[in-house]
Amino acid sequence: MTLPNTAPPATATPPVISCRNVWKVFGPRPGAAIERLKADPLARIDGHVSAVHDVSLDIMAGEMLVVMGLSGSGKSTLVRCLSRLNEISAGEILVEGRNLAQLSEAELIDLRRRKMGMVFQSFGLLPNRNALENVAFPLEMRGEPRAARIARAREMLALVGLQGRENYFPRELSGGQQQRIGIARSLAVEPDIWFLDEPFSALDPLIRREMQDEFLRLKGMLKKTIIFITHDFDEALRLADRIAIMKDGRVEQIDTPDRIVLAPATEYVARFTADIDRARVLHAFGLGVAPDAVTAGAVTEGAALPGGQTLRSLARSLVNDRRDWIPLADDTGRVTAMLERARALDILLGDAA
Amino acid sequence: MSMTDQIRLPKSAPRPQIAMLLIGLAAVLVLTRAALPEGLIRPPDWLILPFADWVNTVFTFLRDDLGLMALTRAFAGMVEWLLDVTANILYGKSRWPRLGPLPWSVVAITMAALGAWLGGWRLAVLAGGTFTWIAVMGQWQWAMETLSVIAVAAPFSIVTGLLLGIAAWRFRLVARVLDPVLNIAQSLPHFAYMIPVVVFIGVGPKAGAIVTIIFSVPPMIRMTALGLAKVPDEVVEAGRMGGATPFQLLRKVRLPTARTEILVGVNQVIMQCLAMVVLASFIGMPGLGQKLLQLLQALKIGLSVEIGITIVLIAVVLDRLTRAWAMRQPQHHAGGLRWWQRHPVLLAWALAVVLAFALAQIFPILAQVPRREALSIAAPIDLVMDQVIRLVDPLTTWLRWFLITWVLIPLRDAIQFLPFSAILLAVAAAGWAIGGWRSALVVGGFIALIAVSGWWDRAMITVYMVGFSVCLAALIGFPLGIWAARGEARAQRMLLICDTLQTFPSFIYLIPVVMLFGVNDVAVVMAVVTFAAVPLIRYTTLGLRGVAPELIEAAQMSGATRRQLLWQVQLPMALPVMMVGVNQSVMFSLFMVIIAAFIGTQDLGQELQRALSASDVGKGMVLGLAVAFLGLAVDHLIRSWSRNRAA
Amino acid sequence: MTRTSRLSWAARLSLAPLFIAASLAGAAQAEDSADPITIPIHNWSSQIVMSHAIGQIFEGLGNSVEYVSTDSQAVYEAIRLGDATLEVEVWEGAFGASFTAALEKGGIHEAGNHNAITREDWWYPLWTKEACPGLPDWKALNDCAAVFATPETGEKGRFLGGPVDWLKHDAEKVEALDMNFTVVNAGSAAALWAELAAAEKDKTPIVIFNWTPNFAEAVWPGEFVEFPKWEAGCDTDPAVGLYPDKVYDCGNPADGYLKIAAWDGMPEKWPAAYAVLQKVSFTNPQIAEMAKLVDIDGMEPEDAASAWLAANEAVWKPWLE
Repeated sequence: MTLPNTAPPATATPPVISCRNVWKVFGPRPGAAIERLKADPLARIDGHVSAVHDVSLDIMAGEMLVVMGLSGSGKSTLVRCLSRLNEISAGEILVEGRNLAQLSEAELIDLRRRKMGMVFQSFGLLPNRNALENVAFPLEMRGEPRAARIARAREMLALVGLQGRENYFPRELSGGQQQRIGIARSLAVEPDIWFLDEPFSALDPLIRREMQDEFLRLKGMLKKTIIFITHDFDEALRLADRIAIMKDGRVEQIDTPDRIVLAPATEYVARFTADIDRARVLHAFGLGVAPDAVTAGAVTEGAALPGGQTLRSLARSLVNDRRDWIPLADDTGRVTAMLERARALDILLGDAA
Repeated sequence: MSMTDQIRLPKSAPRPQIAMLLIGLAAVLVLTRAALPEGLIRPPDWLILPFADWVNTVFTFLRDDLGLMALTRAFAGMVEWLLDVTANILYGKSRWPRLGPLPWSVVAITMAALGAWLGGWRLAVLAGGTFTWIAVMGQWQWAMETLSVIAVAAPFSIVTGLLLGIAAWRFRLVARVLDPVLNIAQSLPHFAYMIPVVVFIGVGPKAGAIVTIIFSVPPMIRMTALGLAKVPDEVVEAGRMGGATPFQLLRKVRLPTARTEILVGVNQVIMQCLAMVVLASFIGMPGLGQKLLQLLQALKIGLSVEIGITIVLIAVVLDRLTRAWAMRQPQHHAGGLRWWQRHPVLLAWALAVVLAFALAQIFPILAQVPRREALSIAAPIDLVMDQVIRLVDPLTTWLRWFLITWVLIPLRDAIQFLPFSAILLAVAAAGWAIGGWRSALVVGGFIALIAVSGWWDRAMITVYMVGFSVCLAALIGFPLGIWAARGEARAQRMLLICDTLQTFPSFIYLIPVVMLFGVNDVAVVMAVVTFAAVPLIRYTTLGLRGVAPELIEAAQMSGATRRQLLWQVQLPMALPVMMVGVNQSVMFSLFMVIIAAFIGTQDLGQELQRALSASDVGKGMVLGLAVAFLGLAVDHLIRSWSRNRAA
Repeated sequence: MTRTSRLSWAARLSLAPLFIAASLAGAAQAEDSADPITIPIHNWSSQIVMSHAIGQIFEGLGNSVEYVSTDSQAVYEAIRLGDATLEVEVWEGAFGASFTAALEKGGIHEAGNHNAITREDWWYPLWTKEACPGLPDWKALNDCAAVFATPETGEKGRFLGGPVDWLKHDAEKVEALDMNFTVVNAGSAAALWAELAAAEKDKTPIVIFNWTPNFAEAVWPGEFVEFPKWEAGCDTDPAVGLYPDKVYDCGNPADGYLKIAAWDGMPEKWPAAYAVLQKVSFTNPQIAEMAKLVDIDGMEPEDAASAWLAANEAVWKPWLE
């Protein structure tokens, strides 16, 4: 029914990261446990914990994938598999076409020094180094001369709004400021792939909001492939291009926010979307249909609405507009879809009403 | 004693029936003692294994056949070379580099500057004042002899401990081997270490340094491994994602992040070194310890108090300095400062040292205070002590008579009356009641090993002295701890006192008791009681203050009286922490009883000292292990009890 | 260029003392080594003072001397290995066994013999005789054991022995002779004198470990207990002594030696000092005097040694020739 969505075109470029049937089982004999689980998904595997359960997914260049799940769902383990902080038990992970598991130690270190950055939930800052030295750490690891890395670290701190705090030690800064250091550090090596493991979970709600805005700003500026972990569904909806919802190590659904809200694949996913104010989440495009599919005779002319906005932000126009079908325009102003006003109003005002 | 009523066994105690059965059996053995064969009363000769001979055979093989002696001697030679360097610098021993001695004023200024840098002006006054006192009291030479050994032993221990700690953290196998070794090492009495050192290294400062190193390494290993294990995963992951190689990860991420624990380890190393200052003088370590030992043996109370004060002051200063260093958090400087603005203490130190060197050339008294010009407070102390002793003499004489006649002797006779088989069963029963058959096997095994070592009677004397002392210490320690825990400020003050008392080298505790009670068993008991009460007070206070406030509020809202609150809520909740105190108290008592051998006791300690005199490695090791097993058995019982309670 | 020359300059500076020491050692083949002579000191006063006295004589010769506190039994092993250089008081009764054992292993030898007779054994002050008239016979002592009872020992008599590290075999003796006594070890020599002084106040009977030469003889007149006479082997061979099946069934030697022991390497390394050491000889009163300076007059051992040397030049000056 809905054609255009915000997912990247599947064929344009190969995925940056590609997971094929990835398993991660903790315990003394993971291989045997996986065999039993493959035979019977409900098999007992005493002494083992299956944290990542037969996960396959692709992450495209420039895409932001949010992995959402409650604690214990395996999301943090998954991101650690993608960065090979954890070795996987079965399956394979390709990063830019190279099999991650087969990289030598030196190759892996080189990959991390040039391609990857990661932000951690509890910041993971070195307590004995000041802000500047913390940010310079990955540059120091790859052996950049002192002057160059200090200059770069200053630049990064300015980017996250911490200029003037270069000499401060982590313990002298607030949680939000510490995470800004963590972000600056992860960006210092100009990584192509950016992992963020619940970066804002440890922060107060107000600061979290502020940091999300900050993050969106950086995201817009930097154009990186981003894998973002969160347990906060609202956060996921707010930030994601695509969301992967995990439960018990499995990916329940992976799709755009609009489609997850509109068409939850499982009951579990539906439970998350049930209480969501969908008008805040859904973009006009999410409800759009191809112009030629609209019933003949409908009025299609007139001003188009920006399809990339949420229904909530278009509320006034939707209420005031009298047309049954409203054209939707993309960023360039070209009309690419039509919105059925009644359906949009239903969502805006609540289904029950 | 009433406190022990609170140690209720958990309801789920594994098979209390069997424990009761064992106890019953033990009781039967006691009641039918007259009819028992001799072999059940004392460990029979055929049961006693010649452990000492075996150990000696091994040692002789190591020393003579394997030529380990050459190796240890070479090592000792290196240590001695280092000792000569520090000895030359600190007190001018005529060895390379022939630069010393440093004027005392320079050392005092340096210590004061260290204090100022690490902990502000109070610490500066304490550190500088201590070293001025040492110089003015004419103890400079002795103190520097002591410090010259510590200056070699402590860094050596720290580096060794760091490396072993890293190895233990990194390689499971090393940890698995090291852990039991460290457990036993930390419960072996000091004398037991000294005998092999005398055999392999000889006597003198180098032997003192090496025994100090051996004794002070374990806490460093433990703290390093602990600190490394405690580094948050995310910090390590951040390091790995930063592209650190394993070595970079260790050096730039793990070790700096474990800094606090490692520095606490450093602090413990230095405190252990100071604890050995006096004891190592038994094998020829020069300095304050040797002097104190001589003076105490000559019953020169005033002079030994002077030395005692110095040792305590040095211990407190070094403790505070290293603790300040460990707790020191990095702080940023305002930008745009010159280096001398950022390091005012360094600058002041450099200027003061130059000045002191110059002045010492003009006024020799600033370089060295000759003994004839030194002050002494010995005479007034002796005078006052004579008066005090005369005053309390009736009391101490009575106490001595009472304790010996009505407590110590009956207790000793009672414990010697008990058949060893009954004691063995009772201990196993305690193990069974607390931790099931495993514990019964472990503690029973420890005690059985003592029985077959051939030192049963001596060990039982140690047991009764320690048992009685800990009970007495509990009578003092628990009420004091409960009293101190009544208010936050009071608790803080009490904890500070306890911490300070615990920095005193154990030997110091012997000075006042020898002053008051003379040289006899009562003095030993009194010293042990004082020493053992400190951890009891400390952990009782800590435990009671640690009870969650909501719990207390809940009890108060339920209408509990203060008494009910204490007995029904606070004490049961604080019990696990208090038991840690009991555990430590037993360990401290064991060590103290052994050290007190030099006062003249009849227990394992006396035999240990005899073994030391005769350089009998085998006997010393067996005796040392017997002491260690007593400690480990108690430790095992208390730990399993806490574990079961937590589960 | 400049860098290398600076390095070698630093190296030369740091090595200078070594060169000097080496050249001195080379030049003075007949002279004493510059290394310090290590003199061990123990836990009784006369030995400490005598060690300092001899050390100060050596220093007068231009030697450097160091004192190390060591255990009085372990010291023979230390001398044998060259860790300590000499021992000024080898008492036959106390250390004869350790000394002989070390002699057999080699590395140590007898360097001199004091003109003194030593005896160490059970001893009582004269006032004790009133309570136990049969003394000094050991059987008489045993008969009035109850007189010496204390709270610690119950019904048995108390014998106050020396510190355990003197390795006296008093307990074995009590057992071998089936005596009604319990051995209580004092922690130190000073503890012995303290108990003795306390007993003197109300003339309490007391039997303690004592020895001669010792200052105590002058302060508290007394006698040694007469045990069955010492025979060589009494301590090892059950057949020797009073009973055929016991060891230690005898008293200590009544006229023991007091020797000087030295490391075998000493004559070569410090020939001048060694020559003096061979002539050293003190008498019973001289040794008692040294102990008295410390134990009664309360002097520091170093000062006592200086004072004694100053007062007795006639005794030691001839040794230097």
